[in-house]
Amino acid sequence: MNKDTLTFAVILSLIDFFLSMVMITGIGLVLRLLPLLNRLGKLDEESMRRGH
Amino acid sequence: MFLDETLKFFGALAAQTGLANLWWGNVVMIALGIGMILLAVTKKYEPLLLVGIGFSCIMSNVPGSDLILPGGLFTYAYKGVQLLILPPLIFFGVGAMTDFGPMIANPKLVILGAAAHLGIFVALIGAKLLGFTIYQAGAIGIIGGADGPMAVFMAVKLAPELLPQISVAAYSYMALMPLIQPPVMKLLTTKAERKIRMKQLRTVSRVERIAFPIIIGVIVNLLLPPVAPLITMLMLGNLFKEVLVTSRLAKTAANEVMNVVIVLLTVAIGSTMQAEKFLTGSTLEVVALGLVAFLFGTGSGVVGAKIMNLFLKEKINPLLGSAGIASVPIAARVSHNVALEDDPDNFLIYHAMGPNLAGVFGTALSGGIMLALLQ
Repeated sequence: MNKDTLTFAVILSLIDFFLSMVMITGIGLVLRLLPLLNRLGKLDEESMRRGH
Repeated sequence: MFLDETLKFFGALAAQTGLANLWWGNVVMIALGIGMILLAVTKKYEPLLLVGIGFSCIMSNVPGSDLILPGGLFTYAYKGVQLLILPPLIFFGVGAMTDFGPMIANPKLVILGAAAHLGIFVALIGAKLLGFTIYQAGAIGIIGGADGPMAVFMAVKLAPELLPQISVAAYSYMALMPLIQPPVMKLLTTKAERKIRMKQLRTVSRVERIAFPIIIGVIVNLLLPPVAPLITMLMLGNLFKEVLVTSRLAKTAANEVMNVVIVLLTVAIGSTMQAEKFLTGSTLEVVALGLVAFLFGTGSGVVGAKIMNLFLKEKINPLLGSAGIASVPIAARVSHNVALEDDPDNFLIYHAMGPNLAGVFGTALSGGIMLALLQ
């Protein structure tokens, strides 16, 4: 398909906008699951701050 | 005869100086460079960017200067842009000074980071209608993402001949957001909507803060390799910050590295603003399309938040939607200030940082998908 056309620009825009919404929603879902990592335990921030 | 010879000698001498090649375009661009420096110094508009860009713009328009000739000093700064080394290093510094807590604490708002990017595609289609190639239109559209390094990245990849116009438009509009966004935000919201207060965000643990950059880095490298350099360096900087044991590296990234890269980037951008390339009709078109992109992006973010409210029990303040434009933290600050006008006790800044930071990913995703489809 010839990419340098108005039709391709419109199709590209629709696909890009839709896919970026889907991907960022996926990132949102991953962030929703992040609190589950807290079950692994807590980190000692004081000793971490005393690092290099 | 002696006089003739003397006059011929001085004539030949003058002809090989830059003065003989000076034209009105150089004078205009030198004046523009001086204007940028004045704006930076007197109005404090983005001084870290405008002083360097303004100065190198002036020097690049002095004819005869070999700073911009092959092998000239400024060309080495431009190499850093051309080879896509400088934009990821900017993101490295940004990651080291960014707190992604607001974004992690309220994940449902990240969708506004994509909703506010409709402006990218309105500008892309507008650019195609004006006769730009699809590659140029893509690079122009990304101005609407309000992300300077991303705009530079996409311009180098898709339309390096438009780099000066795109970078100047992107950084100028970012500084002008407090003027551009509020009228659109007020037009699309009611007073009652602007007064909606947000619930306090939960505390994000250290484990989550450390896992976040690693997980996001893997996801972006898996799904969108074209923009992996930018997001990977953003996440590396953030990881240095969040693990706490590498605080000196985080401080270096956020300060010394950022400062050096800003100097090189601004010199590189200014050095491309030569009159022959900049004073064209397409410059005005790029500037106009950039404004269109920002206006539509602001509007689509606010409308996106209002659409979300149709499905949410606990309504979100729709002013957070316009913060989905990536300009961190300017867009978040604008949302906060507009909310304060109707309710002086409604502090939205921390909430607005969530979609604002998500906007960085939104721009990267939009750009990465565009590169994947075009290249």
